[in-house]
Amino acid sequence: MPVTHRVAFSPSGRQGSVPDGARLLDAASSLGVEIESICGGRQMCGKCQVSVETGEFAKHGMVSRASNLSPVSAREQAYWDHHVRTEDRRLACAATVCGDLSIFIPPESAVHKQVVAKGAAERVIEVRPAVRQYYVECEAAQLDDRRGDWERLQKALHEQWGLHGLSIGLFALRQLQSALRDGGHAVSVAVWQGSEVLRVQPGYAEGVYGIAIDVGSTTLAGYLSDLRTGQLLSTAGTVNPQIRFGEDLMSRVSYAMTQSDGTARLHEAVVAGLNELIGECIRDAGVSPEQVLDLVLVGNSVMHHLMLGIDPSELGGAPFALSASGAFDLTVRDLGITAASPAARAHLLPCIAGQNGADNMAVLLAEMPHRKGGAVLVADIGTNAEILLGSRDRIWAASSPTGPAFEGAQIQHGQRAAPGAIERVRIDPGTRAVTFKVIGSDVWSHEPGAVLPATGICGSGIIEAIAEMRRAGIIRADGRFEERGAGFVIAAAHQTSIGAPIVVTQNDVRAIQLAKAALCAGIKLLMNRAGVTRLDEIRLAGAFGSFISPRHAMAIGMIPECEVTNVIAVGNAAGDGARIALLDRETRAQAPGLARMVEYVSIAVEPSFQDEFVAAMALPGGPAAGSAPERSRRERRRQLALAGAAARDGES
Amino acid sequence: MSENNDLTQIETSELLVIIHEDLYDGLADEVVQSVNELLRRGMSPYETLTQGLVAGMDVVGVDFRDGILFVPEVLMAAKAMKAGMAVLRPLLAETGAPSIGTMVIGTVKGDIHDIGKNLVTMMMEGAGFKVHDIGINNDADKFIAAIREHKPEVLGMSALLTTTMPYMKTVIQALEREGLRKEVIVLVGGAPVNAPFAEAVGADAYCRDASVAVTTAKARLEERRNAVPV
Repeated sequence: MPVTHRVAFSPSGRQGSVPDGARLLDAASSLGVEIESICGGRQMCGKCQVSVETGEFAKHGMVSRASNLSPVSAREQAYWDHHVRTEDRRLACAATVCGDLSIFIPPESAVHKQVVAKGAAERVIEVRPAVRQYYVECEAAQLDDRRGDWERLQKALHEQWGLHGLSIGLFALRQLQSALRDGGHAVSVAVWQGSEVLRVQPGYAEGVYGIAIDVGSTTLAGYLSDLRTGQLLSTAGTVNPQIRFGEDLMSRVSYAMTQSDGTARLHEAVVAGLNELIGECIRDAGVSPEQVLDLVLVGNSVMHHLMLGIDPSELGGAPFALSASGAFDLTVRDLGITAASPAARAHLLPCIAGQNGADNMAVLLAEMPHRKGGAVLVADIGTNAEILLGSRDRIWAASSPTGPAFEGAQIQHGQRAAPGAIERVRIDPGTRAVTFKVIGSDVWSHEPGAVLPATGICGSGIIEAIAEMRRAGIIRADGRFEERGAGFVIAAAHQTSIGAPIVVTQNDVRAIQLAKAALCAGIKLLMNRAGVTRLDEIRLAGAFGSFISPRHAMAIGMIPECEVTNVIAVGNAAGDGARIALLDRETRAQAPGLARMVEYVSIAVEPSFQDEFVAAMALPGGPAAGSAPERSRRERRRQLALAGAAARDGES
Repeated sequence: MSENNDLTQIETSELLVIIHEDLYDGLADEVVQSVNELLRRGMSPYETLTQGLVAGMDVVGVDFRDGILFVPEVLMAAKAMKAGMAVLRPLLAETGAPSIGTMVIGTVKGDIHDIGKNLVTMMMEGAGFKVHDIGINNDADKFIAAIREHKPEVLGMSALLTTTMPYMKTVIQALEREGLRKEVIVLVGGAPVNAPFAEAVGADAYCRDASVAVTTAKARLEERRNAVPV
């Protein structure tokens, strides 16, 4: 009867019997516990580090001792001589089991890693990258062996890692012979999706990085991660160079439609921006271009097409036909990206619809609103508001044309959110005294040390201003100023940099009414579709969503009624979703199915849109009860007419 | 508001003002009551239309232009106007009253946003025009067919997107090709449209909003009628 020992692994909790003398790495594997290894158990990569938890473990019925692992061999010691050893870590590929053990697997040694994306919303991301590195030792070429090096490498990868049916890219194929020669028949290969060899390096090597990129029409944002650990190493942002062909999306589509080489120019511009961004991420992280092997690119449908160099003209008008809605796996070379390894792959997430692109797909991956329980709304508010509603494992989506008012356009003193812009406003309902706060200051305008002057008012500021003006009775429920004039002064001339007061005008209120009604009507239509009467949670994505005050947004009827504490800013959810797709190939693989599952509602042609839109235009949140009632002109007029008739009756 | 509201006690001039006020406040039932009362007093359907409803909607138009009234109020007013019109239309047909004008309106191919266009339709109807709304996403052939069928004096085209507005030029070129361009006054509008664009595509005028559409249509029609005596 062979001697066995009990081995328990934490944190997984798995345990069982293993034969005496078994390698710890194999023991773990036999119990379904996966410990990372790049070198395949050759005591080179040091990724399989574990430690022994010593003591008596009653629940496992064992006493665990460090001496129940084989002593450190000369070869293992050679590894530790060259690397920092934390406490009394052991290499699971070197140590063998000679007694009962409780083994702790630190997070960095687990194959299934998770990282927490820090931001407005903390997201736990599974680390299951599309590109992994493997170390293999191949047979040397022989006179009587007619096979090529690639065939020998395939055999070695199959035998040592269980990888079969692999193909090899031309870039890697060109590296293969010299890498084998330089590495003494040992090489490290990077394999994409368990199916294609992207890179071959001599001997033992590590370092596979990827970049998730949110391709916005204004800004490109990049997030570089170590694909093995999932750690975020650098982030960078740059202006989308396409902006010189048109400020907004539709003017770029228009450029592509009207200029003979418009699509090519727009494509070249965005690729140049991507190269610059990738370069910046790499420099910040201290990584070489050759180490970047995977990219995930997300953007709205127009950006998606232009990255691919596809003419976006069809997206310029109904029926907003996508050239292709599915996900794409390409090489960076196909796209013209030169700042990463020539062998790097690029993945584009699928688009949901012509007006609801891969950026919203990324938001969906990050948020998964249908899995949260209850009715959960996610809105990414920009020139278009992209709306997702999840309820009972179903997802509805829409895109609502809010226009640029929330970004400060069409507003007399509006500006983009930047230092100096008024972002917070309070009005005393009694005295109508105004205080405000500008971006970059923690101090209100009436307090000592206030940062002035104000340069304008940004989207979040205008929303607060209108909500506060409504509460103070300065504007009525229909949006009309109670008293006509040049506008309501938020900042007096001496508080501004423009040499004049910053005011909110009647037209500003109208512009915000239109924008917020478009958003709210879109939400209401989705709710009607989903049979949802009240939202349990509203999650606001994007920069604008991060800065608006939920209370004020609700007060002006921009978003439907919801528990105010359940209105949450979730930051750049599209960027987070791109990172998820980069690090977790299983979630990436789910995206096309999710996109198909989404029930897309084209709200402009919904018969009830106009009614919802008009109904959403009013401004609730008026003065508290007891204030002077708003009297209509008609009532006054009719009374006058009847009084006149009565007077005439009296005369006759 | 009909508690103490015996319309028969109110002078005709006051009653017209009340119609204007009720239109302004979007009170359809009250407008219909007053229209019926004016007719009972022997005012002609045409006078009731022009002095009551159209004059009232003029005030609505002015206040909309000035930002005092907004889309919901204008829609309510237009609905009240429509209710009054329903009373007058058969009578106007019987009496052979002169038509103020006829319009064909629609959004151009690729554009499915129709709230602005609907507003123009209502304001034009408010001004007494007979409006044939051909809906959204119309290609040149549909515009031409509608013009041939309804023989309007005014054609309105609307687009919300930068990418769809160039189609207005396609329609205007088709009108020229079909020899219809001189038959209609072409008005264009929509968020990305402006006066230089209107000129560039060969339209007669750009209208910033529904209220401007009404005043422009009336003015251009007036010019045309004076220039070409029938």
